[in-house]
Amino acid sequence: MAILEKLLRSKRVVWTLLVSPGLWPLWPIFVSKNPSVTADPFKHVLHHLGFVACIVLAIVLSFSPLRALWPKWGVAQALNRHRRLVGVAAFVYAALHLTTHLLYEGGFALAAIPVTLKTALDKPFQLTGLIAFTILLVLAVTSMNSVIKWLGGKLWKNIHRLAYVAAGLAAYHQAAARKLFPMQVVWIFGPLVILEIARIWQQRQPKPGV
Amino acid sequence: MLIRTPKDWELPESAATPESLYHLSKRRDFLKALGVAGAALATRELLAATAGFPSKVNAAYRDPALKPTAYEHITSYNNFYEFGTDKAEPKVLANRGWKTEPWTVEVTGMVNNPLKLDVNEVVEKMGGAEQRVYRLRCVEAWSMVVPWDGFQLSKLIALADPKSEAKFVKFTTFLDKKSAPGQRQGNLDYPYVEGLRVDEAMNELSFIATGIYGKPIPNQNGAPLRLVVPWKYGFKCIKSIVKIELTDKQPRNTWQVLQASEYGFYANVNPTVDHPRWTQASERVIGGGLGRQKTLMFNGYEAQVASLYKGMDLKKNY
Repeated sequence: MAILEKLLRSKRVVWTLLVSPGLWPLWPIFVSKNPSVTADPFKHVLHHLGFVACIVLAIVLSFSPLRALWPKWGVAQALNRHRRLVGVAAFVYAALHLTTHLLYEGGFALAAIPVTLKTALDKPFQLTGLIAFTILLVLAVTSMNSVIKWLGGKLWKNIHRLAYVAAGLAAYHQAAARKLFPMQVVWIFGPLVILEIARIWQQRQPKPGV
Repeated sequence: MLIRTPKDWELPESAATPESLYHLSKRRDFLKALGVAGAALATRELLAATAGFPSKVNAAYRDPALKPTAYEHITSYNNFYEFGTDKAEPKVLANRGWKTEPWTVEVTGMVNNPLKLDVNEVVEKMGGAEQRVYRLRCVEAWSMVVPWDGFQLSKLIALADPKSEAKFVKFTTFLDKKSAPGQRQGNLDYPYVEGLRVDEAMNELSFIATGIYGKPIPNQNGAPLRLVVPWKYGFKCIKSIVKIELTDKQPRNTWQVLQASEYGFYANVNPTVDHPRWTQASERVIGGGLGRQKTLMFNGYEAQVASLYKGMDLKKNY
């Protein structure tokens, strides 16, 4: 556990952990040349980036309940040093996912972008993804030190609670992407829900010595 | 004089037969036939599961503007939920001991001459196979171009001599939970059912495929015989058919049973009626680049099928 804690304290390790899942699609497209993937490689990239964005978002939101539940656990402490980095990574994956979607739908024609975005407006599946992305964009922009200072801690914190709304929307968006309910949504967001329930339950317990 | 330059995807006629023989030579049955029972049985085995029917290209259904999708993409990018919901899964899971030969198919219900035949007998009775190049448009907004081998559905239905009260044709897929993991999980309501109106089924385009690119149709594409209705979304093209039933009641197709708000009975390709979750105005081309191509009304077969739906509200009857 001490080794894990030490590794997770390292920024380089965390960066590697965050970047490598994004590189993964290169393997089936260029190395193993899996024909199921090369049939529509952009779709594979699109789904993969969305998938990673959901995972990273669920992971970063689990950091603070982990620390609240086990304040003395070194791993939880180590993880919480990287909240901003991991949170911005979730935004970057979501942004890459949206960019791929725009390219996938409209190619390189700039004029196609508003058309693609407009199609999303009357389709809850697409609209939830778009709103979740917008929230992450706001959170990423307000994560710069100068902006945090300018907003003040309390307002900043309240704004950043929107991340939970983004997670809920992302879970819906991911489930609606498939024709049958995909169990991965439960694996990705289920643990987070359990941690949050545990944190709320713990907060309601009377504090010892009071 | 018309000088025709063959396209790079066009196989010379001579290439088709050796290719299918090559495929056969890999089959255990064929080796067994050669070794044990001699030439007579070998000839019979050549006919096994529609392998031995070199198909003649039907030029009437080969639009030179259509560029067929690569064989490996057609056979690796499959929706066949009986063998998994991921596109890559059917190629693996449908080839793990699931037997598609021998295979019996019946034509039954409101007919004067019910049939129950081995699939090879069916192809023989249909006078062999022909090849047609059709567009295939999935409800998920992607498309392929497939050179199908097989026969026109109307010929088979005519052979069974439908009664006049028959209004619909109900198709049913195999049910074999031992071989089909998706059926064990029950991810859909199995066996898979599809349906057409009789006039749709008798349309010249409605086709039963027994092969692709002159080779026997692979298991993951719906061996040994599947429906092909190119003006409808792909899920109407039911795979691995065991029963074709003439009836007076509109069949409830599997996807309609699962989610009637998204999948209808008609499922005609229609760029003006969106799926609730995505646009149907355009489509991704499998094996193509970025961007999309415009989806055509009735998938480009308006001339052949538009008359079937005269006066119908296609927004309601999606």
